[in-house]
Amino acid sequence: MDYFALLAINGLVIGLIYALMAAGLTLIFSVLKVVNFGHGTLYMLGGYASYYAITYLGVPPPAGVVLAMVALFAFGVVFERLVLHPMYTNKVERKDEYAIIVTFGLTVLLLNLGIVVFGPFSKSPPPFLAGALIAGPLIITYDRLIAAIAAIVLLSALSWFLARTSLGQALDAVSQSRESAAVIGINPRRMYTVAFGLGSALAAGAGALIAPIFALSPNMGELPAVQAFIIIVLGGMGSVGGSIVGGILLGVVEGLGVGFFPDPNRALAYTEAFGALLLVFTLLVRPTGLFGRPHARLE
Amino acid sequence: MDKGRRDFVRGAGLVGLGVAASGPFPSRAWAAEPIPLGWVGPLSPPGNYSGGQEMKWAVQLKADEINKAGGILDRPIEVFYEDTKGQPAEGSAAAVRLITQNHVAALFGEFHSSVALAEIDVAHKYGVPWIGTDVWADQITALHYPEVFRVSPANSLIYLKVANWIADRGFKHVAILAENSDFGQGGAKVVADIYKQRGVDHNVVTVELNQQDFTPALLRLMNASPRPDLLEMVVAGQAQYQIVKQACQLGFAPTAKTAMIGSSGLLQKEVWEVDGECAKNLLVVDVAMPKAHWNDQARAFVENFQKRYGRAPTGVAMEAYDTLGVLAAGIAKAGSTDGKAIIKALESIHYTGVHGSYSFSDKTDPPWAYHQFMDVPFMVIQYTEMNQTPEAAAILFPKDWATTDKILPEK
Repeated sequence: MDYFALLAINGLVIGLIYALMAAGLTLIFSVLKVVNFGHGTLYMLGGYASYYAITYLGVPPPAGVVLAMVALFAFGVVFERLVLHPMYTNKVERKDEYAIIVTFGLTVLLLNLGIVVFGPFSKSPPPFLAGALIAGPLIITYDRLIAAIAAIVLLSALSWFLARTSLGQALDAVSQSRESAAVIGINPRRMYTVAFGLGSALAAGAGALIAPIFALSPNMGELPAVQAFIIIVLGGMGSVGGSIVGGILLGVVEGLGVGFFPDPNRALAYTEAFGALLLVFTLLVRPTGLFGRPHARLE
Repeated sequence: MDKGRRDFVRGAGLVGLGVAASGPFPSRAWAAEPIPLGWVGPLSPPGNYSGGQEMKWAVQLKADEINKAGGILDRPIEVFYEDTKGQPAEGSAAAVRLITQNHVAALFGEFHSSVALAEIDVAHKYGVPWIGTDVWADQITALHYPEVFRVSPANSLIYLKVANWIADRGFKHVAILAENSDFGQGGAKVVADIYKQRGVDHNVVTVELNQQDFTPALLRLMNASPRPDLLEMVVAGQAQYQIVKQACQLGFAPTAKTAMIGSSGLLQKEVWEVDGECAKNLLVVDVAMPKAHWNDQARAFVENFQKRYGRAPTGVAMEAYDTLGVLAAGIAKAGSTDGKAIIKALESIHYTGVHGSYSFSDKTDPPWAYHQFMDVPFMVIQYTEMNQTPEAAAILFPKDWATTDKILPEK
């Protein structure tokens, strides 16, 4: 039982970080109807932004996370205005393909630029708090605990923002129907910019929170990006709540899968397979994901 | 244009202008065409690009030195660099490009065994010599391709000795974390076979290199009965940092109850930035000689590398530096850039590099010994202080070089 709890708690913590990453991805998708293939690189940039803020500006690690989120919000806004904006005009005919190409291009560009700018060698910011919380058989490092708490705070704040503020409701309105939202005076293009900025900031938050737990490298976002895609499909495309539940579920299932798979020698190598199996079973039962809405497509 | 080529062009231009002293080939104006050579290795993901970059730097240094000293056969060398990304398909395509488009006299380099296996098929098909820098899978030389030589260890050459040393040290329950590759699975098999012979209880846990969270697997090992007294990583590059950090944070290893041993990725200084105190007491298989045994060439290489790139080279960089040295000596001995002539010359070469005196075995028993450099220097070291360099770490094996016989922390 202790062993089960240990694995479940570890999975929960990692799942919350996954959820944070996936919430940004799903926010962008729900409002812009764009699958952001560059989300993993935003996560990577967030990690490095936090590292440089802590190392060169001398700010404490939590402030590094905040600064990384602010910086990537700005990056997201600029990227959306400069690169994605033509998609909403008549300049671009094949909008879906355009979105795939530019966001995928963002990944290739930033990944390779990352190796040049940040260097090929791993980096790591200092821990939020060194040591581990040991309660009987349960062991959890303070870094993981703090990251999990921060993820809960950020996800709660996001949920509150989307449900209780006029800007959040405007984003929700655009996610449901761009034209109907425009009729009641909401500027959809402005909402696209806000959504992409927020999504980028959430990815950056996840990257900055994970940086002291793992390590920074230019390709650190590759696997989390894949997991984020699994999560948004699992939770339901476009559902922020679904991505939170999906992230936690994925983290726990992967952790328990590795811990209890009958062949201990192959269990770790099958980590991603456990997530894929979870996705397949969920889609068999609920083809739109756990909380998905049908008909999510750019108008 | 890559840096090596740029340097060459710049150098040639300066020679033409009569400013010979400031170019890379200061002593002469080259009348002949350069000898094209092809370097292969990972410079971007999913390959181990940090190891690849270090190898490339060392090769650039050696190439400049060779040209400065007059080149080979009165011709400068020109190295074409191909990023193989740690992927066999990329390695194969890169080898074809280098041979058919750049017309290289030989191929050399590589960090990933799986990629090397793809490259040597191409080298064999075209009859072009290939020298492996840091590729350990036995299969590479065991295929007995006449074109294929290796300056790095084979898994069986090193891990057999390490496994016997581990058994001699009295470890009873070993958990082997092995990457899912020819190197990882091959190395794990070598050590597992020895443990079986020596009665050491062991199990192999397969690791995917792109994984980041090893905690569930480490928790499983930590809760196993009996708990492993050694965690052995047969994993290349910086993926080991994560394993070390997470094992340490759980209080699992390296501790008095469970020691931890890894390989060359842990020799880079970043191990201290990422793992901090957790890297203390870590055992590392270091393919290098103790500093006290370095020759003049090794000392000069380390100094020049440090000066040019602002960081100390690891054993992998030394291997890369020597690979080009061996190849250049082979071409000089052959007196030609013909593939068959180079192969013949390499088969009887005696070249002194930073890792000692190189020659290649012609034995086919064991199969991996063919065209293998058999006297690869290596040692098992242990970091005993924070921010310690590998040269300053305690040496536990081999006995002749050992500075201590105590593995810390003591049980």
